[in-house]
Amino acid sequence: MARNAKQWNTPPDPNRIEWADSRIYSDTEIFEEELEKIWKKVWIPVCHESELPEPYDFRTVSIAREPVIVCRDADDRIRAFLNVCPHRANLIERRPSGSFKDGTPSGNPRNMTCMFHAWQFDMKGRCVHISRGEEGYQDRLSPKDVGLRRLRCEVAFGGMVWVTLDDHIEHSVREWVGSALDCILDPIEAEPLEIFHYHKAIIPSNYKLWHDTNSEFYHDFVHYHNRVTGFNDAYFARKNMTFDNGHVVVGSFEVRYDQYEGFESREALSFPTLPPNNWYMIDIFPGINYNLRGSALRVDLMTPLSADEVMIEFRGLGLKKDTEEERLTRIRHHNTIWGPMGRNLHEDLLSITGQGVTMRPGTEPRRILHGRHENETIHDEIGMRHYYDEWSRWMGRPLHNPTNRPAMAAE
Amino acid sequence: MTWKRICATGDVAENSLKLFDVDGVPILVVNHGGDFRAIPPLCPHMEEPLEQSGICDGRVLTCTKHLWQWDLATNEPGAETGKPLLMYDLEVEGGDIKVFVERELEYEFDDDDDYDDDDSFWDDD
Repeated sequence: MARNAKQWNTPPDPNRIEWADSRIYSDTEIFEEELEKIWKKVWIPVCHESELPEPYDFRTVSIAREPVIVCRDADDRIRAFLNVCPHRANLIERRPSGSFKDGTPSGNPRNMTCMFHAWQFDMKGRCVHISRGEEGYQDRLSPKDVGLRRLRCEVAFGGMVWVTLDDHIEHSVREWVGSALDCILDPIEAEPLEIFHYHKAIIPSNYKLWHDTNSEFYHDFVHYHNRVTGFNDAYFARKNMTFDNGHVVVGSFEVRYDQYEGFESREALSFPTLPPNNWYMIDIFPGINYNLRGSALRVDLMTPLSADEVMIEFRGLGLKKDTEEERLTRIRHHNTIWGPMGRNLHEDLLSITGQGVTMRPGTEPRRILHGRHENETIHDEIGMRHYYDEWSRWMGRPLHNPTNRPAMAAE
Repeated sequence: MTWKRICATGDVAENSLKLFDVDGVPILVVNHGGDFRAIPPLCPHMEEPLEQSGICDGRVLTCTKHLWQWDLATNEPGAETGKPLLMYDLEVEGGDIKVFVERELEYEFDDDDDYDDDDSFWDDD
């Protein structure tokens, strides 16, 4: 029976079925607070180290709207800085990636240069040149006073470059992730990895809706191919496991690729020590996803842009030592699942685009159910519940009334 | 090493700069008003390749990056120029330019490689 407004807006009993108020996705004030309380306080992987393989290579990114540059110095160490000039706050580097080896039209080799007034900085963030400095600043300002803002940066978990905006963060990346990535640690760390695929999608939806999708497999029903070939007892029996700090692991199982039409076994190119054709998916709080399907690793990074817009970057990684033929096979394996014509990525993106329509800022609060209990397996929504317990702790906001405003305007 | 022929006088046009490799040593030849100088390829200020950044008006060489200047006839640095140019001995014999290369001449740039920047996160009070 369809419901009238009052019935529709009456919340279910949370002791019987867990739910969250949709304003955790749609409220712009909550979004701004998430940037301050979560995204500026945690470790965020920003790229893979093979994207800046040579000394003086760089990559520019952003965390919580703060422009960030990571670069590799002659000592082979990767450092991160705010990509902001200390003079008049201009963006120092505008390219997404490149090299400082040969200098730029306004700058000298091996330095980064703000094109506005040609101040220059080295790969350690020190200011090494102020244009006509003594003439303008006399002895009141010298290069040592105007270094860049350094950011904590660690390369970890398969060569991802992790950065935090919090100088005084209490834990290392390894402490933060804990044992959540143990299930794929040996496979992704036995050999140096190398990026072979990158694309990004800007989706009109809240970033957490994408993470939700990765935290439960109940949405198998949106995936035509999963319904046709994927469902069997072993598939449903996979455990959905929770880890400290809001992380979730979707249990492994062996995928019978040879039974997919047009597919082949991926055993020959399995990552080191990985049982053949096994599939692991790990969700790291607040929005990072590692997805290892035997022969190809996919790592997704999210950049929340507003309450109803998120940029998702998709990377595919193989072994650096791959032969050309092995690499081409890995790329084919990657693309047949996750490419634009693959089995399921586009369906996932369409799903959260629909949720983005119903939960735009200003839409009425809705009850988002995450109350499936199915023995903590992959169709159990335990992953979402675990994530939102963590989210509530960081935000200090209850899931049922996150804005402290009435849930029903009509009441 | 000894005197080496580097090029012919006609190889470097008047008031221009051209880079040569002399047995692995990079040498920049400047033709200033028909006279020649042989110098290392980088500006002593910030390692800029002078072949691209340098202009010569017949007597003065200017690095266009930060306007360091040298009088090539006297090797006097300009008023705002911090270091003189290093120069290789050069002779013109017939139509050939020869340079005396004992070793590669290189400027000292301030490379503070033992800089330990990890402590900076804890510098605030």
